[in-house]
Amino acid sequence: MNRETQSNGLQRVILNERARLLRFLAARGAGDEAEDVLHDLWQRVATLPAQPISDPVSYLFRAAENLMRDRRRSHVSRERRQQDWHDVSVAGDDPPDGERVLIARQRLREAEAVLVSLGPRVDQVFRRYRLDGESQSAIARDLGMSLSSVEKDLQKAYRALAELRARMDAE
Amino acid sequence: MTEHASDPVRETARLWAIRVNDPAFADWDALTGWLDADPGHLDAYEAALDDDAWAAELFATPPSPTEYAPAPAPAARQRRWMFTGAAAAAVLTALIAWPVLQRDLPEQVIVTAMGERRTIMLPDGSRVVMNGDTRIVLDEDAPRRIELVSGEALFDVRHDARRPFVVQAGDTRLVDAGTVFNVVEDEGALDVAVSEGAVIYEARSREIRLDAGQGLSRAGADAEPRLRRAAPESVGSWQAGQLLYDDASLDQVARDLGRNLGSPVRATPSAQAMRFSGTLTISGSPEQVLERAGPLLGVRFTRQEDVWVMAPSGEAGH
Repeated sequence: MNRETQSNGLQRVILNERARLLRFLAARGAGDEAEDVLHDLWQRVATLPAQPISDPVSYLFRAAENLMRDRRRSHVSRERRQQDWHDVSVAGDDPPDGERVLIARQRLREAEAVLVSLGPRVDQVFRRYRLDGESQSAIARDLGMSLSSVEKDLQKAYRALAELRARMDAE
Repeated sequence: MTEHASDPVRETARLWAIRVNDPAFADWDALTGWLDADPGHLDAYEAALDDDAWAAELFATPPSPTEYAPAPAPAARQRRWMFTGAAAAAVLTALIAWPVLQRDLPEQVIVTAMGERRTIMLPDGSRVVMNGDTRIVLDEDAPRRIELVSGEALFDVRHDARRPFVVQAGDTRLVDAGTVFNVVEDEGALDVAVSEGAVIYEARSREIRLDAGQGLSRAGADAEPRLRRAAPESVGSWQAGQLLYDDASLDQVARDLGRNLGSPVRATPSAQAMRFSGTLTISGSPEQVLERAGPLLGVRFTRQEDVWVMAPSGEAGH
């Protein structure tokens, strides 16, 4: 399949699924700019290298989800840059890089302790999913669990980590 | 973060984030419906994604202080919790001054085995994700310079215009200009792909600027570099369990498979001449991965002792 027909193929799917994608983008935080984001998606699809895509509709939704994440990330880092500049010019006591790594390492130990406290299975499911990037269905198959038990274990792990994070932020 | 972590909307949001982050997720209309149902749902969903990103970053921190941590660090950290005020400030100064004082530290070599991945967090917040069968050298006296001796790594660099980040691969220098980029070094053959920002390629008094979406490959140390396109989402895709190719030689594919699977893969001369465009999924056992990859690549894999041999599917095995 050459590149042109492939891109046109995905762009055709965008045209067909336009209403669904727009509704998703608007709900996903693009609001009035949903059209702009969809246009962005359209252009990115045009530059993709040829590759077989088994479910083009889901592929496009995934790409739209990623675009929204990128937008948020660049928005957040822009705010953080402004904040950093403000902090530096006002107080100038941002922890130095070396110390930041030490704090991160201490926090990592605490997070690992939290996972261990949830039991070996939750710990294992979380690690395989988040750290080794295994799919939930592969983990379920391998550990002889149902998909929804994998989900529940992950939910438990994320809940405990969010609580840990809130405690750390409050310190 | 003031809300309770166990708030029911946050619980549901967390579940959505877990589902959506699974590559097999396909129920986008249901997600849309849930997001649409209440304006608070989007915020809760973003918070769940943010928690996930926070956890990912946290777990990317190297746990052992032997991994590129300033050696005296553990002692210094313990002291820091005991001191306050001026004493703490003095300890901080010591931490900052430390790299300057220890001039004669040996360089640190970090090696991953085939199939092993490792994320190295650098003191400046930059991140190096090493693929399998990769060797890098860190020099604590020059924390913004990394030597990629062989293998593949994804660099997520904190840009600092005054202190450029440099990846040295043989006699080639790659200088970042605010950047996420992937580098493969294989006995002088080099492949660079940029997904964010830009990288300056410097070799044999030549400079080439690569912007996001661009890549460069060179067949050997003395070969001419050839520019190519690199779809930003494909850069470092091995991290997500996929290898994306655009007209790559099967020789290249074999090397990538070996690095990612943990057992060497060798292409026969006739397979080396073949080319491939498409995506390979590299999750599962080597047997499963190769079984799926064979028909896509038009090859057969046969095991010979500890090496997988890749031959065109029409050709009889050895």
